[in-house]
Amino acid sequence: MGIRIDPIKCTGCMACELVCSYHRDDAFAFLSACIVVYRAKEKKDYFGVIVKEEESLVIARPEGLEIKGIGAVDEEAEGEGDSSAKPMLLREACDLCEDVEDGPLCVSVCPHGAVYTE
Amino acid sequence: MEYLSSDKIGIIDFTTSEVSEEPLDEELVRENIGGIGITTILHEKYKEDDPVVLGTGLLTGTLVPGSALGVITARSPISGKVVHTPLTMYTGIELKYSGFDYLVIKGKAQNPVYLWIHDGIADVEDAGELWGKDTWTCTDQIRKLMGDDVIQVLGIGGAGEAGSELAQITCNYWGSADRWGLGKIFGEKKLKLVAVRGMGLIEIAEPEEFVSQARSMIAEFRSAPFSGRQGVGDLLAELGHEDFNSWMGPLVHRHKSCFNTPIPTNTFLFLDEEPQLMKESEKDEPGVLVTDPLALLALKNLGLSAKDAGEALKACAKQGIDPYRVALLAQENGKTTLQDLLGFLPEMKASPEVSYVQEIFSPWCPRRPLWGDFGIGSDESEISQWWNRRQAVAYIFGIHPIFALMSPQLSEDKLLELAALGTDIEFDSNTIDKIVGRLID
Repeated sequence: MGIRIDPIKCTGCMACELVCSYHRDDAFAFLSACIVVYRAKEKKDYFGVIVKEEESLVIARPEGLEIKGIGAVDEEAEGEGDSSAKPMLLREACDLCEDVEDGPLCVSVCPHGAVYTE
Repeated sequence: MEYLSSDKIGIIDFTTSEVSEEPLDEELVRENIGGIGITTILHEKYKEDDPVVLGTGLLTGTLVPGSALGVITARSPISGKVVHTPLTMYTGIELKYSGFDYLVIKGKAQNPVYLWIHDGIADVEDAGELWGKDTWTCTDQIRKLMGDDVIQVLGIGGAGEAGSELAQITCNYWGSADRWGLGKIFGEKKLKLVAVRGMGLIEIAEPEEFVSQARSMIAEFRSAPFSGRQGVGDLLAELGHEDFNSWMGPLVHRHKSCFNTPIPTNTFLFLDEEPQLMKESEKDEPGVLVTDPLALLALKNLGLSAKDAGEALKACAKQGIDPYRVALLAQENGKTTLQDLLGFLPEMKASPEVSYVQEIFSPWCPRRPLWGDFGIGSDESEISQWWNRRQAVAYIFGIHPIFALMSPQLSEDKLLELAALGTDIEFDSNTIDKIVGRLID
């Protein structure tokens, strides 16, 4: 099971990213999150969400969801992760908030049901 | 100030080229909470230097729904009053996490400068290369220079440089809620832009309970009356402009939320690209983000097509000029085609007379409840009184001012409770009354 995203439902509010950072730090600090809203191409209205898993990156581009094995991540995909100033591959992997009773937290705070597990 | 804070106020004096810092005193927060509760005190303290004060609310950038707001407090060139412009999208959160709670920008530089705010550092840099360039070019250049594409840029274009009363402080590539001409103050200071990036950490006094309450509110909002509404078209339909969606609809690419705001209040229009395209456009500038629904409505009322109105918004954002008052002036002068309007832009220097001139909160925000039941009547003065109080509360705590109009659940008591949980400060129950009484005379 892993976190999946419906990229078209996402409106880029970053609630998932913030609550993920809380899960890591008991504080708010965007750089700690393993789910990140990709917002580097603002002028083109091209945005999505990336999740770092243990073995893979979940990349939710507007045109569709792609899951890439970490070993297969090419420069382009890693470049997208860099939009947040801390490369995705350096972040802790998603643990599905295993210690949270009604987690994962990112699923619970998405106002539009864009984040789900599968 | 330990919690929900970076414990730092930055004071930047362009006249002396000095940057100094002060801690954020907990007593100041206990008495004034945050946002405009504190920006107004800082403005008063440094008023001889005509300061521009930037700040965030106490709850800005947290899990509290709608906590997107940053604020600019400054003297309005059109009224002389101290006024407030809300900053939405991601500007408020980048400021909150930049290492500063508040920034006082005072004095005048001799030559063009820009400010680079990051990691608790305020750098004053030479802006000779940027002066004379439009806001889009400047945003691109700053982001490229710093190697970071999510830096937020509060800037001015040609209008602010030329001292126009219509000059707007823009946010990145887009228009803002600045209907006051604050871009003129930037221009007078020779301040081309303020670039902000927030990569810090914000501690919470009672993290579990704070997050638990915020999550409950987010869950509750899923079934709120506004749930499922999207973008500027639905906002304007709620305000009685039912034909707006059919006028604008064919150009809508996607709707965008401001930080942690459960309803998207912004809409991206593709002007030069197929709106259904979901892949990344190969065009550099395919469209415009509408952040000011009432400005777009004013342009529609000129008789423009949605595409021409979008082009007008884009041109205004590039030049850093308030599109709402541009539309009013265009109407007064019979410039009702896109070509006429664009040709008239360079001549627009003096503000038209506006009904809101004596107010302090941006009229960018609609002046009535939206989808929410706040238990107020239909009497206009009662609604106006409610609106001013609601705006004040939003600007103090850091709540998106439009979202505040549709979220009665975010009551004053609730916000005070969240503030106490977040900071471990026991706020007196009369605190909000006292601050609002001081702000609204």
